[in-house]
Amino acid sequence: MRHLSARGLGKSLLSAAIVAATLAISPASAEVVLNRGFGASPDTLDPHINFGAREGWIQDDMYEGFVAYDTKGNIVPGAAEKWEVSDDGLTWTFHLRDGLKWSNGDPLVAQDFVNAVIRQLEPKTASPRAYYFYSTMQIVGAADFNAKEGGDPTTVGVTAPDDRTVVIKLINPFPNMLYLMGSYYVPPLHKPSFDKFGGDFIKPENIVNNGAYKMSEMVPQSHVTLVKNENYWGAADVKIDKVVYVVTEDDQTELKRYKADELHTTNEVPSDQLDALKGELGDQLRITTYVESQYLSFNITKAPFDNIKVRQAIALGIDRQVLQDKILKAGYQVNCGYSPPNDPRYPQPQVPECSGTQAERSEKGKALLAEAGFGPDNPLTLTIDTTTDNTAKKQSEGIALMLKQNLGVNAKVNAQEFQAWMDTFYAGSWEVLNDNLVGDMPGPESHLSYMRPSAESGYSWKSDEYESLMDQAAAEADIAKRYATLAAAEKVLLDYYLVTPLNVTTSRHLVKPSVKGWDDNMLDVHPTKLITLE
Amino acid sequence: MFTFAIRRILGAIPTLFALITISFFIMRVAPGGPFSTNRKLTEAVLANLNKAYHLDEPLWMQFGRYLWGLAQFDFGPSMKYRDYSVTELIVQGLPVSLEVGFWAMLLATMIGIALGIAGALRRNGATDFTAGVVAMVGIAVPTFVIGPLLQTLFGLQLGWLPVAGWDGSWLAKIQPILVLALPNIAYISRLTRGSMIESLRTNYVRTARAKGIGAQRVIWKHALTGAMLPVIAYLGPATAITVTGSVVIEQIYGIPGIGRYFVEGASNRDYPLVMGVTILYGGIVILANIVTDVLRGVIDPKVSYE
Repeated sequence: MRHLSARGLGKSLLSAAIVAATLAISPASAEVVLNRGFGASPDTLDPHINFGAREGWIQDDMYEGFVAYDTKGNIVPGAAEKWEVSDDGLTWTFHLRDGLKWSNGDPLVAQDFVNAVIRQLEPKTASPRAYYFYSTMQIVGAADFNAKEGGDPTTVGVTAPDDRTVVIKLINPFPNMLYLMGSYYVPPLHKPSFDKFGGDFIKPENIVNNGAYKMSEMVPQSHVTLVKNENYWGAADVKIDKVVYVVTEDDQTELKRYKADELHTTNEVPSDQLDALKGELGDQLRITTYVESQYLSFNITKAPFDNIKVRQAIALGIDRQVLQDKILKAGYQVNCGYSPPNDPRYPQPQVPECSGTQAERSEKGKALLAEAGFGPDNPLTLTIDTTTDNTAKKQSEGIALMLKQNLGVNAKVNAQEFQAWMDTFYAGSWEVLNDNLVGDMPGPESHLSYMRPSAESGYSWKSDEYESLMDQAAAEADIAKRYATLAAAEKVLLDYYLVTPLNVTTSRHLVKPSVKGWDDNMLDVHPTKLITLE
Repeated sequence: MFTFAIRRILGAIPTLFALITISFFIMRVAPGGPFSTNRKLTEAVLANLNKAYHLDEPLWMQFGRYLWGLAQFDFGPSMKYRDYSVTELIVQGLPVSLEVGFWAMLLATMIGIALGIAGALRRNGATDFTAGVVAMVGIAVPTFVIGPLLQTLFGLQLGWLPVAGWDGSWLAKIQPILVLALPNIAYISRLTRGSMIESLRTNYVRTARAKGIGAQRVIWKHALTGAMLPVIAYLGPATAITVTGSVVIEQIYGIPGIGRYFVEGASNRDYPLVMGVTILYGGIVILANIVTDVLRGVIDPKVSYE
């Protein structure tokens, strides 16, 4: 029995491991492989259904839309070599490059792009992203086609007059259109393989795509491997032969794998270790603001939050800088407007709660509460509903603490699982919500469109002024005038104190010094075809 | 014995049906749905999604549809992992969970029983003390603490083993198997030790000794056989749990098993996925219990198959 003691066994296992590790000499190979930490397993890689930003990275490697991104997230020509927009801003014409091919060598034609839009809009595809084509950009006929089965695809304003031209007709002008013309929105559809395999056309053995990479392996909960597509028009400039998107659900493990050189880049960095990692890894730590803003929302149908003075007082009771620097420490930036301030052309209105000292703000907040009938003898009590996400919880608890200290408000935090939190929101049973929204593109437009009472009824807000300003902005083709009108709309929203802004979130990655061509950008796009390994 | 097994398998059918029915309806009571997103989907998009997954039908009709599918061994599509059907996800993940679970259980059973016997034979000796400490650590320290510790030691500090990942190499399998085995080693060794000590005091062991049977034979044949009964009773459900994967181990080590689907399926309200893994787990538990009962009958002459 002595031979089988735990110690003995452990010893023999260990020595076996050492021998194996010594023997396992990696084969010398010229193949350049990039290992990218990916986070949780992708939901779907069907390019016309995918609704996730991370899955968008893989999609960006596998597909190319009319436009693509450079390393800084700027728009550059993709499958289209040039494009033009009519003077009224309603007609966009994209001219495809000559000689484009699918990964199997088939010629890629303009109709393939038309088919992609049609597939996303077809009710039977059940694509969560169909609304992009009639809500974000308003393509002629798209809404009707998506709403009812059996519609006529030729009624949708996306056509291919010849093999190298795609024409898109809009109901309203949309100056930021190009942001929605990349691989995420218009990945072309290879109809022969889709007709043959249906939804399985995305499986590695069936896939035909047009980007710089094609899929060679897809193992759920493990990895997705892409290899270079020799039929891509720019294949000569692609330096990475193979990219492996490694599923890394646990960010602590991901960090260790990165340190052990099993990964070149990570999807996430544990937010509670940012300070330590900054010291340890220096500029391998990349923190960039993201197109997501976080804010508190107020339930204006519930007393006392129907009183604007109460909402304003709560807004005054939060020290946003302290919240970011001392409590969250996630590298987030204080935001003083509703939308993330990431387009320099946009004159974002600022809330007054961002100026002055906290002592002054607290004084003002207490006075407002007193006017609303609350004071030391009759303190305001409220509940902040949040998801169980660690940072969100920490943020809510920090705010509750500040409200107590600064205003004498008794705030309670109710953390619920995401689904239950959503249900609470739509049931209207909440008071104050720790809320957030991720935009589709830089600029305020996706955020402000979302807050239209006609688009999101959950806030029970009614404002003819806001709606009419948003309508005005939507009809404006000139970006400066459009942004001025949007700024007026944002001011209406902020003046009403339906929400009070908190911060803009960040994307956080670790990137090995050997990885070149990975630049920080707010869209958090890092196409593998632009990356090199030294 | 054979008729006993058949009878038990037939008896499991109503159990399984109750499991299916209860899980199906309980899942629907949970707040939210599979398509809850932070950004509200438009009416048309939501309607299209609900239609595609038949969520627009009355609940009884959905249940009927589900049972009809099950009768044809179709677990339905995954609502979260839309590229796969639930059957595909289970077929891809189960072998991995089975592999890790099998080796972990084998390791745990061998080491656990060995430590238990050694401890029982030399009570309060050095081996017993060591086994006791290992068991206490295995029970008290959760896998989500042990796992990262081993990763840091073997993956980062020593560099002997990969930190995580599942590339088919056996090096990658060592840590997860070890971590999964540890708590089981602990339980099994404690159980074996306890029942072995008890068994050594029984009348039949004393009788065997009195008849002059050799010490080794008394220990291995008489005492151990009796001592194994509680261990086998534990091994049945423990094996069922272990081979269906562990969400913690799978997340820490990036193992593509099915353990995480129990948690993820539920939190994403992926109804078909939750149903699929629940039925699978239920089936394996029932099977493991039947095997345990049959084995007990083989070992213990007092157990009757009637």
